[in-house]
Amino acid sequence: MIEPNKFWWMIKKELISLKRHPARLVSILAFPIIMILLFGYGMGGEMTDLPIVVVSQSDGNLTDLTLDTIKNTETYHVVEVIDSLDEGKQRVDSGEVKAAIILPSDYDEDTSQQKGVTLYIDSSDQMASQIIESSTQAIFYRISNMVASQTSVSTQDANIEPSIAHSLDNFKDDISLHINRIYGNIKYIDFLVPAILGMTIMMSCMMGMGATIAGERETGELARLFMTPTSVSTVIGGKIAAKLLIELVRALILIFMAVLLFNVSIKGGFLQTFIVLVIGALCFVGFGIMLSARTSTQEDYAQISLPFSMPMMFVSGVFYPIETMPWILQKLAYVFPLTYLNDAMRGIMLKGQTLADVWLDLVILLGFTLLFFIIGVKRFNRDV
Amino acid sequence: MNAIETKNLTKIYNNNFIAVNSLDLDIPKKSIFGMLGPNGAGKTTTIKMLTCLIQPTSGQATVGGYDVQKNPDEVRRLLGMVPQQVSLYKDLTVMENSQMCADYYGVPQDERDSRIEDLMELVDIKYAKDKRVGQLSGGQKQKASLVASLVHRPDILFLDEPTIGLDPTTKRTLWDLIRELNDDGHTIILCSHDMHEVDMLCDYVGIINTGNLVAYDTPQGLKDSLLEANRHEITDALGKISEESDSPTSSRDDLEDLSLKKMSVLLKNNDERIIEKIRQSTNLKSVEVARNGRINLRIDSFDDMAVQNVLAEIMSLGGIITSIYTEEPSLEDVFIKSTSEVNEDDRA
Repeated sequence: MIEPNKFWWMIKKELISLKRHPARLVSILAFPIIMILLFGYGMGGEMTDLPIVVVSQSDGNLTDLTLDTIKNTETYHVVEVIDSLDEGKQRVDSGEVKAAIILPSDYDEDTSQQKGVTLYIDSSDQMASQIIESSTQAIFYRISNMVASQTSVSTQDANIEPSIAHSLDNFKDDISLHINRIYGNIKYIDFLVPAILGMTIMMSCMMGMGATIAGERETGELARLFMTPTSVSTVIGGKIAAKLLIELVRALILIFMAVLLFNVSIKGGFLQTFIVLVIGALCFVGFGIMLSARTSTQEDYAQISLPFSMPMMFVSGVFYPIETMPWILQKLAYVFPLTYLNDAMRGIMLKGQTLADVWLDLVILLGFTLLFFIIGVKRFNRDV
Repeated sequence: MNAIETKNLTKIYNNNFIAVNSLDLDIPKKSIFGMLGPNGAGKTTTIKMLTCLIQPTSGQATVGGYDVQKNPDEVRRLLGMVPQQVSLYKDLTVMENSQMCADYYGVPQDERDSRIEDLMELVDIKYAKDKRVGQLSGGQKQKASLVASLVHRPDILFLDEPTIGLDPTTKRTLWDLIRELNDDGHTIILCSHDMHEVDMLCDYVGIINTGNLVAYDTPQGLKDSLLEANRHEITDALGKISEESDSPTSSRDDLEDLSLKKMSVLLKNNDERIIEKIRQSTNLKSVEVARNGRINLRIDSFDDMAVQNVLAEIMSLGGIITSIYTEEPSLEDVFIKSTSEVNEDDRA
């Protein structure tokens, strides 16, 4: 039987502790903000302002048009427009800039021959070089069409190791591709944020709950409660209620920050997102309870929980789609509840699905929750 | 009626370690019972079984007439526990911790705060009621722990090393408090390694070793039993010696000494002549002069006649006595003897 008065004491105790430890309170509130900033800006943002130089050996309208287009492209930050080919290459070699776009001396001449533009690029920075390449291709593709000329672009090996060179010939397109994005123009940050919310809830619930239980076991506070005529489920239930309350506040901050900082759209609505997060929080609190049922110290708990939390973080499709992973990791992903939380969160936030649409994810999550609580309470004994 | 009774109480852990082995223990109601034993003897396991934190493997235990396995909640209502490590929430105040404990024990709301206030007055911690437990000194924490443990008016109170780490003044205050609680009708089970504390406070003492009760009596009874045990040993040994015609006298004296109580006197005229006279006296035994000048002797008992006879003998030999000191076997002697015997048996 659950006794509300004892439940309330657990919540009250947590709130009093937080009130009397402003630093702890700040940490709890700052944690989701830091997480969302770290992952959002660190991993989810687009690459812009990559430093480049333009080596312009030509003069004329086409050159001016090209320079304007390059300068107005967000991907680049044009450090300087120079005319020395060697200087351009040297600045790439030295790492000062990521690439040099070299416009040849005949670039502006009205000739029927192909025009060879060279992209001299530092390919050691794979991410940056890929982005510069695709942006450059897009620019000259557009210019090529605009002037309907025979301009062609080619890249030349940059003589730095490792380096890549791409031939960017034949921009003329005969086939028109129409892209129909069924969920709109989704950026990586949009893909990332729902899972970051799930992962943050997972980490704070699992680590926080387990560490609290193990800590109180270590200091004897739990023993005092167990010596009272109170059932294990009431004591544990009270702890869960207290933890859940704090996590819900965290979830609210997370959602708020995601919207505020990254303009993330929540197509399925705030309430549904919140409900999914609550179910996720409950599930991971249960996970924490289960793992901490027999651990006697906080240190033990940290060691025991790490082999679960770390793989879960990387395998459950937080950063990359599960389908792109090796098959063994794909199979493993479906054993972890975070996978289902992420799937439900993305369904609600990105696709605008309802709770009914993600019912399978929610049922599995609730199933995990039930399993964790049953094992946790069964394994939990009063021997502290 | 006994507050606690155990019969063949046994606890075997998963690794087949027998922590408590067929323990039969009766703790009389309204007594102060000292539970002694070396580290790892089985005291903690016994307490855990009695406080329903773990289940016995076999045997029975009743607390206040309730079976610990069949009626654990009834047992819990009767018990209060002051653990060695203060286990109150450090961020809550003394008052909040006590209120929380009261609510966990189901103390009626209309009585709760007044009970707590009364207890705070009793243990003299009311002045710190709004202080956080984490800010209290060691003694204050123990007092706060007592309040939280007594708020549901338990019949039986377990005190696990309640005065460890406390200064002598605070220690004595707590001793007075323990006596007061006992006078109020609480049965108190005191676990302590402080033999003096146990000797001072307890009506009964049980010594547990390797999961068994190896000694049980009043503190005085245990000390007397040590003397008796020595006396039997000596009588046996003397009998054996007398059968051997060439037994040295010194052996006989050494054995005899063991059966006697120690006494020492300090003389104003502590010179060689007097000491020699005392040594030669046939009425005084085992005369030794300590470095500090005290003359150590052995006597049969500390009753008035025995002591008076010794003093009269010394004075008749010309000694001017300035101080007298008597020493009987301590509870520590009993503890060491009781636990070492079992250890030796184990080794054998």
